[in-house]
Amino acid sequence: MEDASLPSYDPKGDANETKIKIICLGDSAVGKSKLVERFLMDGYQPQQLSTYALTLFKHKTQVGDQEVHVDFWDTAGQERFKSMHPSYYHQAHACILVFDVTRKVTYKNLPSWFTELRHYRPEIPCLCAANKIDVDYSITKKSFNFAKKHKMPFYFVSASDGTNVVKCFRDAIKAALAYKSNSTDFMDEIMKELDNMTLDGDSISSSGFDATEQEEDKESAAKS
Amino acid sequence: MSESIILKKCGVRFTPPALIVTYTNDVGKLHRRTMPLRNFNKNSGVSRIVQEMKENKRHEKYLRHMSPLQLEKLIMILHDRLNGISLDECVMRNKGLDTVDPEEDLNKLDDVTLKRKKEIMDATFEKNRKKREDPDFKYDVEVDFEQGAIESCEWDSDKESDEEF
Ligand SMILES: Nc1nc2c(ncn2[C@@H]2O[C@H](COP(=O)(O)OP(=O)(O)OP(=O)(O)O)[C@@H](O)[C@H]2O)c(=O)[nH]1
Ligand SMILES: [Mg+2]
Repeated sequence: MEDASLPSYDPKGDANETKIKIICLGDSAVGKSKLVERFLMDGYQPQQLSTYALTLFKHKTQVGDQEVHVDFWDTAGQERFKSMHPSYYHQAHACILVFDVTRKVTYKNLPSWFTELRHYRPEIPCLCAANKIDVDYSITKKSFNFAKKHKMPFYFVSASDGTNVVKCFRDAIKAALAYKSNSTDFMDEIMKELDNMTLDGDSISSSGFDATEQEEDKESAAKS
Repeated sequence: MSESIILKKCGVRFTPPALIVTYTNDVGKLHRRTMPLRNFNKNSGVSRIVQEMKENKRHEKYLRHMSPLQLEKLIMILHDRLNGISLDECVMRNKGLDTVDPEEDLNKLDDVTLKRKKEIMDATFEKNRKKREDPDFKYDVEVDFEQGAIESCEWDSDKESDEEF
């Protein structure tokens, strides 16, 4: 997965130009791709990376006096693509975690996405988007505990009619920028190294995502 | 000049495998057209066959009036049938494919099935969609729902509820 053409997000760059990477996570068919497309409308050139399961959308925007280059990484929720997740998480600055309000199972799977995210990126800001509210607006009267419990900003969105999509993505960009400028976190440095190590080998196994193993990994990372 | 036709019925023939449509032409006369699936066998990939049929110049005239979902459905039935699945079961399986079960995990589906589920979802997506061309289109639509969030979602209070919720 790792190849020289993959952009690097690490250098802080000069003061007026910043590169950030934002990833989208969630089950298959929750609307991750539609949300990115809605945010970018026609102003994007998607770029398929090595496998069709991964799409990179490039976006340029202005935040204050800063020119920000945002790469949105969109991957398929399909389980068989799990093995490529390490490179997906690599150097991400923020994450949008999506579920589908019409399908309970996608909400129930949030913890496992979140655990995987925290395994690779323990500190990056994560925003939660409840998509497809256009199907039945009464859902917006409900509160969802998952986001509250993990102190995530929560958005009711619709890729279809556009509700709150722009707000959610702009907040994600701001959060990513904030994270990048204060990212001196110790744990994060360790994870960066771990990420690099994982990427060097070509035998990334999907069993490594097992919940119990993850915990161990994290501990040994903290000790080393 | 392309003749304007209206599809009336679509179906399949099992041996030898073929798609069959009936249609009326310009002057309202009823016709029937059989489109043999020449290289179709039980190991053929459904999506590849669908693609081949769509691209076939001779069939294009008829198939473009059929929804992609319908075409896939018919080929899927043929495929299942060639693999020894009973007709009843084929039809049942197809019904299942035409609905989205809110409890069903879609993360493990094959490409064809996932594509079909998404096509079903597309109906609502397109219906509710606000396009750039729409007079009331706004790029940034912000709605604050905070006030309304009073009731906690029943998805949180399940017995099976995960520790992490
Ligand atoms: N009604 C409605 N349907 C939506 C909305 N967003 C997405 N959909 C539907 O859901 C389907 C799946 O959306 P995708 O964007 O392909 O989902 P995804 O999360 O990228 O799925 P994977 O790439 O397979 O992981 C689409 O085909 C749409 O029909 C929405 O806001 N409202
Ligand atoms: Mg997608």
